[in-house]
Amino acid sequence: MSAPRPPLIATRIFAWTADPERRDAQLGDLLEEFAERAERDPAAARRWVRRQALASVAPNIALRLGRTYRAYTTEREDGTMRTLLGDLRLALRGFRRDGAFHGVIVLTLGLGIGAIATIFSVVHGLVLDPFPFPEPDRIVGVGTAYPRLGSELGFFENLSPAEYLDIRDNASTLEDVVAWDMGNRQLDTEGPPQNVFSAFWWGDVLTTLQMDAHLGRGFSPDEIRSGANVVMLAHDVWVARFGADSTMIGEAVSVNGNPYTLVGIFPEGVDIYGTDLWMTMPVGPEQYARNRRQFQVMGRVASASSVASVNTELEGIAARVEQAWSAEYEEYEGWSMQAMTWSDVSSQVFRTGVFVLLGAVTFVLLLVCANTANLLLARAQGRRREMAVRTALGAGRGRLVRQLLTESVALGALGGALGVGLAYLGVEGIGRFVSTIGINVAGTVQVNGSVLLFTAAVAVGAGVLFGLAPALQASAADIAGTLQSEGRGATATGSRQKLQRTLVGVEVMLAFVLLAGGGLLLNSFIRVNRVEAGFEPERVLTMRLTLPREKYQGAAGPAFFRELTDRVERIPGVVNAAAGSQFPPVGFSFRQIFFDGAEADAEATLPTTLTTVVTRGYFEALGIPLLRGRTFDERDEAGTPLAAVINDEAARRYFGTADPVGRRLKLGDADADTPWWEIAGVVGSTKNLGLDRDPFPEIFALHDQVGGDQNQLFLVVRTDGDPQAFVPAVRDAVLEMDADQPVYAIRTVEESYRQGIAPMRATTLFLGIFAGFALVLAAVGIFSVVSFTVSERTQEIGLRVALGADQSRVRRLVVRQALLPVVIGAGVGLAAAIGVSGGLERLLFDVTGTDPLTLGSVAVLLVAVATLASWVPAFRASRMDPVEALRAE
Amino acid sequence: MGRGSILGEFEQLVLLAVARLGGDGYGVTIRKEIASRARRDVTIGAVYATLSRLEEKGYASSWEGEAEPRRGGRARRHYRVEPEGVRALHAARGMVDRMWDGVDFGSGPA
Repeated sequence: MSAPRPPLIATRIFAWTADPERRDAQLGDLLEEFAERAERDPAAARRWVRRQALASVAPNIALRLGRTYRAYTTEREDGTMRTLLGDLRLALRGFRRDGAFHGVIVLTLGLGIGAIATIFSVVHGLVLDPFPFPEPDRIVGVGTAYPRLGSELGFFENLSPAEYLDIRDNASTLEDVVAWDMGNRQLDTEGPPQNVFSAFWWGDVLTTLQMDAHLGRGFSPDEIRSGANVVMLAHDVWVARFGADSTMIGEAVSVNGNPYTLVGIFPEGVDIYGTDLWMTMPVGPEQYARNRRQFQVMGRVASASSVASVNTELEGIAARVEQAWSAEYEEYEGWSMQAMTWSDVSSQVFRTGVFVLLGAVTFVLLLVCANTANLLLARAQGRRREMAVRTALGAGRGRLVRQLLTESVALGALGGALGVGLAYLGVEGIGRFVSTIGINVAGTVQVNGSVLLFTAAVAVGAGVLFGLAPALQASAADIAGTLQSEGRGATATGSRQKLQRTLVGVEVMLAFVLLAGGGLLLNSFIRVNRVEAGFEPERVLTMRLTLPREKYQGAAGPAFFRELTDRVERIPGVVNAAAGSQFPPVGFSFRQIFFDGAEADAEATLPTTLTTVVTRGYFEALGIPLLRGRTFDERDEAGTPLAAVINDEAARRYFGTADPVGRRLKLGDADADTPWWEIAGVVGSTKNLGLDRDPFPEIFALHDQVGGDQNQLFLVVRTDGDPQAFVPAVRDAVLEMDADQPVYAIRTVEESYRQGIAPMRATTLFLGIFAGFALVLAAVGIFSVVSFTVSERTQEIGLRVALGADQSRVRRLVVRQALLPVVIGAGVGLAAAIGVSGGLERLLFDVTGTDPLTLGSVAVLLVAVATLASWVPAFRASRMDPVEALRAE
Repeated sequence: MGRGSILGEFEQLVLLAVARLGGDGYGVTIRKEIASRARRDVTIGAVYATLSRLEEKGYASSWEGEAEPRRGGRARRHYRVEPEGVRALHAARGMVDRMWDGVDFGSGPA
């Protein structure tokens, strides 16, 4: 096996930006530490090198800039710096002279750079550098997959306490393994009671993360073991609710009405699934059934180990568990455990979307560069004389190229400055957008030093990229020819036109890819919105209530909800009110169910269904139709035979064409010691796992019969108007029954609906904007190139018309020549779009990445726009007066 | 104190790490010293930029060590603190100490 190598590009960037005087020492350090880290985990070591390279750019460049600045301020005789400043002055003077032209360039550059800076902020905040842990590469989450339950690798609410112990006690490659459960608690502060997201821990996560509390301390082993009444608060909760009062540490805070000692404040900026309140788990992990899978597990890779070796060890543990337990718990057949760095675990949701957008903005910026180069090339025509005169006066080609490049880099810098401003707006806009769907990225996604540096590099890079070709072109002037022909030298014109046409082809290619991506997403989005939800989401208000277990025991919980729904139904304008443990499209609670007399081997996996606890009237409130039998009624209450309602999908999957009404089911497997439930009716299937997923089998049980175990339900209120208008009246109804009972997660079902497709909507929206921008730029590029070509050929066209060519023929000639690069560009673009469509596929719904209709429409649209853009100058050319045209020389 | 400027926090960290390593530290060990004692993961670029500034101010000096194969044949650069640097460190600490003098948070906000 050969020794692992550091990533080439990152190492190059590192070496290239390093201070030349210390380049060898720095590079040596990088390689030495890489070699050391690679022995533990080559992949992590490579990531480390990339991070080092990126993060080292800023200080190294700052150092070098500082030196250059000092060198200039102390030694004014230095020739280079003087010319640079001179060029810059010249450039700025030029910009002022041609304000509109340069204004357009700076504006398009600003938009392109602003877009890339905005998306880079998101990538940087959410994916590259999401956690301030000292050693983020060593903090891992452990996930599990149970093929027999049909479940893929999951990290959230996916492990049982017993599985946590299997890992904690047997994995020598992991240290300080902790597990936690998520829930809600009521934090009593001044004013109305507040619900906070709470996490209940086995182990002290601060030890795992190797961090200190912001104030105070974490949980001690004794407190964890005894499930002591101690809590930690999230930094932002402490600031917002308690005014950052440092004297609180060691004092009591009231949680669900009980006193808990506040031992510490969690470090700022460390967000673990939005936890506000840290508590200990009141009982030990040994107390739980092996299949109670509602926990998360996190650990730190031991110093001599790597993520890879952790996974090897987890494989072995999983195999041993399978051997020991699969007879009792069938889901262990073929199950697996896997560790992933915590940043990977927590960024999974966004990853695909933000990288697609990052790719898109890169294309947009390249398009802007191609367009700018094109405009500058056209412009260069007008500056031929200037260049020729300067050459004649003795300026070398290098000197001219440098002057022109200084101009384009200055344009890039101005565009960059505008882009940074736009990025601030963009990041704020994104923050506001995602906060409407309950994600808080303030403090994570921001225009920080790295983003500014990245933007500066992009701006300068763009300046060189779009400036180089025009600069080389313009400086290669044929002095004599140019000066003789009053600025319209023919020598370089041919190669310039070729270059311009190539650039148009490139623009069309880039625009094609962007439009194809935007089109595919739009197509998916339209399809998702057309999906039949299986129920009526309009005008339904929901809110969540969690009854404190201490206060509502046994039948008190169901009684509370019965009474509450009765009261709410009496509010004028309320059509019906009910409660349920979940509602479509956001099902989350699954149980294993055994169906008596189900078709044998209905499927290879153990039957898992969504199980939903409801009150009477749930189906009516949500508008879910009854298909067979009956729903819950007066016959069903505590003490009467247990009745269940199943959805059509469950009926179809487990009973085929047979009538399931009257059949029985129970929780667990065939041998489970749980009571039988009789199927009373079948209701229609809803999109219960999200609009973009197929309906999942679901069974419903009545709250009165399930009992008080289920203390957290959503109130579902169908109204005859704007559901938000009913919030105060419904909240009052709750407070009349219990003045201490908070309600939260207040929203309409339609909002939950929209939230489910929000990431898709956001990606579609952004990509749509980028694609539209691309189309405009491509059109401008085509238009300007054709216009210039036509203006250069004025004489020729005039001659043709004078010799009898009719107008339509002239137009066709011009348009045909203009469309050639467009068609070639579209062809290459089609191939490129198909090539990159794989990356998009995970975001698509019901459309493939190579959807012929979408790609065909894009091709037609582009060619149509290109024809229009070239037709205008062609029309003008054909209407030319031949006499005027011939005189033009 | 060179040029009348007080050492920045990061400069202090780097210079103290150099001091702790007893005149034999180089990039890798300096970073590790800062990581283990100050619990800060600092980048190679940041450390060297600071070291260069410290050298320019005369607070530290460096010399080239042996080239090593696992460093791609590149030499280590070792750093030591100069007397000027020691003075600057004391000055920085003295300033903070003088500010702390008489500050008491023990009984909460007055």
